[in-house]
Amino acid sequence: MNAVGNTQAKIYGIGAEFQSARDLYHAAEKIRDAGFQKWDVFSPFPIHGMDEAMGMKKSILGKIVFFGGLTGFLTAVSLEFGTSSFLYPLIVAGKPTNLYTVPAFFPVMFELTILLSAFTAVFGMLILNGLPRLNHQLFNWDRFKLVTEDKFFVAIEAHDAKFSSRSVSDFLESIGGTNITTIHGD
Amino acid sequence: MSSGHEPSQPGSHTFDYKHVGGRFIGLVALAIVAYAAVGFGAINDTKQFAFSYLFAFTFFFTICMGGLFWTLVHHAVDAEWSVVVRRQLENMASLLVVMAILFIPLIFVAPKLWYWMTKLPGQDILLDEKWPYLTEEFFWIRAAFYFLFFGIAALWLRSNSIKQDVTGDARYTLLNRKITFASLPLFAVSLTFAAIDWLMGLDYHWFSTMWGVYIFAGTALSSLCVLVLIITALRNAGYFQNIITLEHYHILGKLMLAFTIFWAYIGFSQYMLIWYANIPEETVYFLRRNTENWQILSTALVVGHFFVPFLLLLPNLGKKKPAFLCGMAFWILSMHMLDIYVIVLPVLHKAGASLSWLDVACIAAIGCTLAAIFLKRLGDAPLWPLKDPRLKKSIALKN
Repeated sequence: MNAVGNTQAKIYGIGAEFQSARDLYHAAEKIRDAGFQKWDVFSPFPIHGMDEAMGMKKSILGKIVFFGGLTGFLTAVSLEFGTSSFLYPLIVAGKPTNLYTVPAFFPVMFELTILLSAFTAVFGMLILNGLPRLNHQLFNWDRFKLVTEDKFFVAIEAHDAKFSSRSVSDFLESIGGTNITTIHGD
Repeated sequence: MSSGHEPSQPGSHTFDYKHVGGRFIGLVALAIVAYAAVGFGAINDTKQFAFSYLFAFTFFFTICMGGLFWTLVHHAVDAEWSVVVRRQLENMASLLVVMAILFIPLIFVAPKLWYWMTKLPGQDILLDEKWPYLTEEFFWIRAAFYFLFFGIAALWLRSNSIKQDVTGDARYTLLNRKITFASLPLFAVSLTFAAIDWLMGLDYHWFSTMWGVYIFAGTALSSLCVLVLIITALRNAGYFQNIITLEHYHILGKLMLAFTIFWAYIGFSQYMLIWYANIPEETVYFLRRNTENWQILSTALVVGHFFVPFLLLLPNLGKKKPAFLCGMAFWILSMHMLDIYVIVLPVLHKAGASLSWLDVACIAAIGCTLAAIFLKRLGDAPLWPLKDPRLKKSIALKN
């Protein structure tokens, strides 16, 4: 078995190469069924149904975004009513702040809800994905660069509870992986 | 795809009239009774008849237009998911030809509805300024053009689609796409100006640049609701087995949510711009609808047309449950009816809403007519495009 990176450093994980999206898909199903938790697949393009093949749970991002949107909504409500209704009551064009003049406040509530939801969605997604980052141990493996061309990869990480170098590499070989490589850190 | 071997079996692609049975006769009978009542009312109280009929006409017209809209969208974006429901949309759109015939009574009561027709040149500067748009000749030419266009587009798309059921020739898909690209701008213009002519024209002093989009929002939403009801009824009768899955319902539910929000967005934008600019010429529309007991109906519209469906459709719970979606569809359709009611009738009942039996009779007359002809259309052609090149992928839809 090949080893790449600084072989004195800790092992990041074991990678395997596959030749097609179909192979990768079925490999993912087998890895999922084998009970691994810390692993990922890499492909030049999105593969439909891969999240199910990997047994991924629904992201919690939606729930986080809800609270982001709620924050935006409440910010707008408190800024609008707080300032022009309590701290310094305003009457514009003969319209005091009451239930019937609330429409003037809607656009701000709407926009701030959308704005903070969108921010939470984008930045929450980046944080959940561990981004941004400058480098990744996987890049120590030269063949992995083909992932942006026509090759498909799987990597099982060393901190998976079921990880052991020998059994994982045998397992990856048994499900059809080639160029199985131990990837060390820097 | 089997063809002709198992006719009239549930699960087959041909609609069997036995599922309708006596109800078809019932519909026709009810329609005849309703027309008799409407005719009686038209003689007794022509003005009430004119507004009630326009109300009922607009309600069903928007639904049929929605059928045409979704068919056009399907072809324009080369959609995959909607192949299995497209025939029902085409059936809905083909009813526009019937709407053209049902428009005829309005010709006779036109001056009672659109009172600018009774004004002479020089009487009202605001009307003279709108020359030559608001002249009787141009008004009827426009109406004829709308129905000519709607009819041709709807029937042509449907007939190509049915021809493909036999040959499976992909040429028809491409031809329909070409028709669609020619039709889309015409559709937008026709729907907008039809809304301006028939609804905004009820008070020619008033104007709103959001009007066409506002009517369109209700159009797209209400036709989705009718589509949900149609396919659920057919599924319950045993059709569409393994053709329309819960995934399709999921998409329809998502679109219903999207257009609920769209309706509210457009409705609010229209309201707020007029409300805060506070120009008497513009506020007259909302002044009427926000006073007397019209106020209650307008408020009910905000709650019932937006907040209720929005909050119920937002979670993922119900979108894959046909029964739930049907409940929502009924609710939204009744709200759409209220929406049209609050658009049309305040022009007549200035002192406050008062429901007339003619409102109900007109809805029954037009509704039964369309339902009966729709049932006939169901059996005329296969229930879904049998040989559409994308049918398989549409059936295998996954959200």
